Amino acid sequence: MSQTPTPLPQPAWPEVFIGVGVLALAAFLAWGASGISSEAGYAGVGPNFLPWAVSAALAACGVGLLWEARTGGYRDREPPSGAEKADWPAFVWVSVGVLANAALITTLGFIVSCALCFVLAVRGLRVAEGKPGGGLHQTVKDAMVGLLIAAPVYWLFTKILAVNLPGLTATGWL
Amino acid sequence: MDTWNLLLGGFATAATPINLLWAFVGCALGTAIGVLPGLGPAVTVAMLLPITSQVEPTASMIFFCGIYYGAMYGGSTTSILLNTPGETGTMVTALEGFKMAKSGRAGAALATSAIGSFVAGTIATVLVTLAAPLMASFAVKLGPPEYFCLMLLAFTTVSAVLGQSTLRGMTALFLGLAMGLIGIDQITGQVRYAGGLPELMDGVEVVLVAVGLFAVAEALYNALYEGHSPTEMNKMNKAHMTRSEWKRSWPAWMRGTLIGFPFGTIPAGGTEIPTFLSYATERKLSKHQEEFGTTGAIEGVAGPEAANNAAVTATLVPLLTLGIPTSVTAAILLNAFQNYGINAGPQLFQTSSSLVWALIASLYIGNVMLLVLNLPMVGLWVKLLKIPKAQLYAGILIFATVGVYGMRQSAFDLYLMYGLALVGLIMRRYDFPIAPVIVGLILGPLAEAQLRNALSIGSGSWVVFVERPMSLSLLVLVLLVLLTPRLLAWHRRA
Repeated sequence: MSQTPTPLPQPAWPEVFIGVGVLALAAFLAWGASGISSEAGYAGVGPNFLPWAVSAALAACGVGLLWEARTGGYRDREPPSGAEKADWPAFVWVSVGVLANAALITTLGFIVSCALCFVLAVRGLRVAEGKPGGGLHQTVKDAMVGLLIAAPVYWLFTKILAVNLPGLTATGWL
Repeated sequence: MDTWNLLLGGFATAATPINLLWAFVGCALGTAIGVLPGLGPAVTVAMLLPITSQVEPTASMIFFCGIYYGAMYGGSTTSILLNTPGETGTMVTALEGFKMAKSGRAGAALATSAIGSFVAGTIATVLVTLAAPLMASFAVKLGPPEYFCLMLLAFTTVSAVLGQSTLRGMTALFLGLAMGLIGIDQITGQVRYAGGLPELMDGVEVVLVAVGLFAVAEALYNALYEGHSPTEMNKMNKAHMTRSEWKRSWPAWMRGTLIGFPFGTIPAGGTEIPTFLSYATERKLSKHQEEFGTTGAIEGVAGPEAANNAAVTATLVPLLTLGIPTSVTAAILLNAFQNYGINAGPQLFQTSSSLVWALIASLYIGNVMLLVLNLPMVGLWVKLLKIPKAQLYAGILIFATVGVYGMRQSAFDLYLMYGLALVGLIMRRYDFPIAPVIVGLILGPLAEAQLRNALSIGSGSWVVFVERPMSLSLLVLVLLVLLTPRLLAWHRRA
């Protein structure tokens, strides 16, 4: 629950930005649709019909969102839960965790890469709660917890369910 | 009777040790993720979709369905004890359940919700058993124009009726439809919006979108905004009801079931409406008005819980007989069928009869398992709520990686998952509903195929949609769904 009861005190510019984003997506879809064949066969419409329809609909939605944003903000919007101000450092920790995982999973293997992701993300989430991120000792502890989650998951999925996940070694255990 | 024999056959398949084990693991896992905040049945089933490449269809569908309704049982526990509903369907339970728990009656609230879920789930399963074959034999007569109109109806209700704003619901729906366009067109084989990236040729995986928009976005949202949100937990006591509480619960369970079931069967999307309706009904009929909103009235927990479970079970009717999902989880179950190359729809009862009946039989078995898991063992699940939030969400990221990477073994998908998480974050903050994205993504390509088939039947003419009585009535229904709320609002203002 937010600390201040007044709903949406900030100007509606993020909402304007979202409207513009939707319009941009509509434009992108239209640009793509213009390159799709209209070969319809027996049907009255070809593979380019739905792309054009979705593009038009999104454009209409974008205009609607822009209009609402400019005239007092989105209608009937539920006040979002949580704090008013974003905690960007925490967000960066978690984001780096997820992206590092994407970058390293094929080289480091599932277990190590996911444990690293866990360490970074848990640090971010802890910082968000206003607690210290923790020193070396805490980091080692987080890494152990991460490994303890990732390793059984890896074994369960690769050994029992036969889902392919990358390993660091060819042994199949790490 | 024919249905009876088929159902017995279903029990024979569902009761094999290996299938019983899948059902049990599904129910237990479902309860656990229902109890834990941050993971719903839809994301969990999505994350586990990679197993469809190995596990045979009957076992995995039994497993997934166990997760689906197990989460509904578990979700009420969190609503009652924490006041943070894990599931939209258990939002109403939190209204009275949390108040009851605050005044020291947590045990009674937990008992009425577990037993009510069992009663409603079982009655609803009986109704599914009877209604589904009838519905399937009727649905065989539907042609592409009718199917397209039904899907249109599902799109409209999921985006216009649910949520606060039709505009934002529609934006979400078309975002989902846009993502559904990526990849090879089913009919002509033309590649659309792949941008020359081989990763996009097969389209965007549903797992990736669901996990990105729900689970990873939730972790990011928690880091950004929820760090200082206090969590307060009610005291547990033994799950038990007095004689008068039983007497007050029974009629509420029955009414809840009656309200919930029809809502699940029609493509009107989700469990929010029936649970709210049931709550309003109980509040009106109750002889204990003074307890509502103060100390907590047991009817206000019993009714909505029953309605929730009846609706969830009933969503299987349109899913199995028409191939039309009316909730996010049902949409992901449809995707699971697609992974097996099984077309959910009226033919399913002929082509995969043993699977369908084993699935229905496993619903009966699963409800009994869940009653046992949730009444005597509720204390065990409550311990899960002690996991610190930071570790919980960071752990969820590991599971997200398994689901997304395991599906296609592509690190590209993990980047895409992060991109979608950012979209989900914005949608969550600015109150855009997410369900329409998933339904649009899964149902979009199917609807497009039906549209083009329908137009082929009409030799390219759109008149085909208004010529046929069934499709015309469905179109009128779509218009009513879209216009009625607007006309009512206009009438009130005038």
